[in-house]
Amino acid sequence: MINGIKKLAKNLTLSELRSGMKITAKEFVNTKITVQYPEEKTPISPRFRGLHALRRYPNGEERCIACKLCEAVCPANAITIESEMRDDGTRRTTQYDIDLFKCIFCGFCEEACPVDAIVETQIFEYAFESRDGSIMTKERLLKVGDDNEQVIGKIKAQDAKYR
Amino acid sequence: MVEIEIDGQLVNAEPGEMLIAVTDREGITVPRFCYHKKLSISASCRMCLVDVEGAPKPQPACSTPIADGMKIHTQNERAKASQKAVMEFLLINHPLDCPICDQGGECELQDVAVEYGSDVSRFSEGKRLVAPSDIGPLIQTDMTRCIHCTRCVRFGSEIAGIMEMGGTGRGEDLKIEPFLAEGITSELSGNMIDVCPVGALTSKPFRYELRSWQMNAIESIARHDLVGSNLYAQTYKGKVKRVVSGDNDSVNETWISDRDRFSYEGLAHEDRLLYPQIKVEGQWKEVEWEVALDYAVKGLKNNILNSRNAQKLGGLASATATTEELYLMQKMLRELGCENLDYRLNVKNLDQTIHLASNIKLAKLEQVDYALVVGANLRLEQPMINHRLRKAQLAGATMNALNVKEFDFNYPVSNTVVSPNQIASTLAGVLKRVLEAKSEKIPEYLSTLTPSAEATDMANTLLGAEQAVIILGEHVLNNTQASSIANLITEIAKHSNSKTLNVSATANALGAQRVKFTPSSTGMNVNDMLNAEMSAFLLLDVTPEYDFHHVNSALSALSKEDVFVVSLNSFGNELVSQYADVILPMAAMYETSGTHINIDHKMQSFSAAVSAPGEAKPAWKILKVLADLLELPGFHYENSAQVLSEVAHQSEVEHEYDSSININENTSAIETIWMHSPYQSDELLRHASSLQASKIGQMNTASMTQATADTLSLKSGDRYLGVPIDVTDAMADQCVFVSSNQATNTGGLS
Repeated sequence: MINGIKKLAKNLTLSELRSGMKITAKEFVNTKITVQYPEEKTPISPRFRGLHALRRYPNGEERCIACKLCEAVCPANAITIESEMRDDGTRRTTQYDIDLFKCIFCGFCEEACPVDAIVETQIFEYAFESRDGSIMTKERLLKVGDDNEQVIGKIKAQDAKYR
Repeated sequence: MVEIEIDGQLVNAEPGEMLIAVTDREGITVPRFCYHKKLSISASCRMCLVDVEGAPKPQPACSTPIADGMKIHTQNERAKASQKAVMEFLLINHPLDCPICDQGGECELQDVAVEYGSDVSRFSEGKRLVAPSDIGPLIQTDMTRCIHCTRCVRFGSEIAGIMEMGGTGRGEDLKIEPFLAEGITSELSGNMIDVCPVGALTSKPFRYELRSWQMNAIESIARHDLVGSNLYAQTYKGKVKRVVSGDNDSVNETWISDRDRFSYEGLAHEDRLLYPQIKVEGQWKEVEWEVALDYAVKGLKNNILNSRNAQKLGGLASATATTEELYLMQKMLRELGCENLDYRLNVKNLDQTIHLASNIKLAKLEQVDYALVVGANLRLEQPMINHRLRKAQLAGATMNALNVKEFDFNYPVSNTVVSPNQIASTLAGVLKRVLEAKSEKIPEYLSTLTPSAEATDMANTLLGAEQAVIILGEHVLNNTQASSIANLITEIAKHSNSKTLNVSATANALGAQRVKFTPSSTGMNVNDMLNAEMSAFLLLDVTPEYDFHHVNSALSALSKEDVFVVSLNSFGNELVSQYADVILPMAAMYETSGTHINIDHKMQSFSAAVSAPGEAKPAWKILKVLADLLELPGFHYENSAQVLSEVAHQSEVEHEYDSSININENTSAIETIWMHSPYQSDELLRHASSLQASKIGQMNTASMTQATADTLSLKSGDRYLGVPIDVTDAMADQCVFVSSNQATNTGGLS
């Protein structure tokens, strides 16, 4: 009986509608948090783990020395490396593949790398149009590195003091 | 036996034994770098410092002898602190290049540093840098990584017998480097890679290929010589990538020869046969197995079986084949009613064959106090047997060599150099002196002989020895008095109570003997077959230009128009293509399971480490299927172990042989002893590029004295049978000793 009266009073005073409208009114004047992706983007942490890249030294020499520590540490077995002695006597990769279907973006490869060659960039917008597109070959990884070296350098410097 | 206490645990030990040997036996970890169980103790790295109660300072476990009642702590604060301090010093100059170091992942320094090293170095001065030196095609040096444990130096002086590496300079300037510009030439040099605890010495052919954790290690047996060294084939993605030694004290201790270690390179050679081939109207065609086997069976049927003419079929095999392969082949031929089979392709005259029992165990060889080596360059031909003798010599044994040339032994040997036709008479002299000393009856053939001074000396030392061994080597194989020489040795051994060792055949020759891969009285031996009118041949792993002594007659016999030849080979070969009608690709070493019988008559079975490339198949399977297709009974094998159990059930039959002795010297002609260089003894070795590039692989000389050269009217710079001549005093007249990496037919030897 009492509950019925309470419910009737609530309905007649439109209290639920008013509390809802209160939030609407508050958010109407507050700063917007919605971003208009893809025109607008949210900021990304320097530690964000996106698409992989292989870096080079400023003189153009590839950093990777085929130590295969990333291959060994990779929990998803996503990395395949073959190595050889290059004509100048240095140790280099002949093949460096990352299968992005297998990769779980844990970032262990980057942690394991003694020469900061393999890194995970902030790039997260990529798609494959064929099955083998998921295999990032050495050439593709180096290309990502070359195209983004400026950004990679900057974010790695930002994070360096915490490591 | 005394009782000591290690980390509170009571342990029994022999007094005088080194502490580290006890901890190793008990499974107590003591870190070490310079200590190696088969090398002398140098106690230079100080890593094994442990706390001995009562001693004022920590003691190195490797050089602290056990005494009764010792109390040792390997893990207490004092021991740990000293080990950490030593580690810090070792890491001062060691580069941090583990990521590109081939030792990374299997490095003793790396392992120990994880436990005893500190995270941060307190050393801020410049690190030492040592220029690398090129020491040959087998070993890669990175001497900056060297921690001066001197294992390689001790290995060189104690095991290899040539001190090729050594320390120069002192303190900070101490460098381990080769003394000679030509680098490391020892036939055992590869073991330095195994003993090096860091990445200073690594395998050159393997450089930068793989990390140690990527490979599987599969136990196997080396089949290049009579020892059958135990080793591990390390494989990756179905390829053998590296070979390291295995431990077996009764066979190879912990060492393997370079040819066992580096022969795997041949497996990946471009000449490997990948598909069965048949010759149709003179043209080679790659075909399916079924087609090739049908073609082979049809050919054999047309040429032999339909006309019930099995006597016109010949089976020849190389001694490198496994026991199972040889057994199946002889079983198949015998089922067909054919007794013509042989593996002794390199013997000139099979009426003069060597019958000499080996009746001393490999491990016992190091306990002899006298050894007489007849006709062998033991160091290069049988490195592991030579190593055992070297140990005996170091323990005080006397060594004699009766050779046509003064060979380079890596221990003192008194050389007696005689021409090939005097070997028998010299040994007869020894026998006569032995019989005289024992006051036994002198047989007729010795009555007129006057023993030479050397023979008398040999006889005297032989009789004075407690345990003597007489070793007969390969150089005598084609001696005109080969069987007399072997019989003389048997006689000498019998009367002087010494042992004999027959190293005149190699590889798996004992396996071939075990399965009776020789013709019975009704069959023909290889040389008879080559001269007879044959209709078909079945060849197992035969490479004519290296394997046959009579190359030219072999080629002409095999190439005849109406002779049908089925050849099982691992590597493509022009001459085989010329005469064969079917070539069946067979698996090489490491690719087939089988058994090798070594000089101790020890049957060592191995499994396949990798599968054969392309369509190549293990030869035992090929032979089994061939026998099935020929509708022969009793070939229902599922694996090679079943074949072996059949071999094991067969009784070993003692062959009857001619034990007559004839010592008449035949001085008319100049004898040529042709030996392939040790790295040319089988097909796999011939295709191993790094071995071929090494100094031993490049051996190519025809040695003779000036007098012989004059008789042959040769002068310095000329070639003899296509081989550059080398005029030397250190050998006998009337003979030429060829050690060559060329095929025999290049010089037209026939």
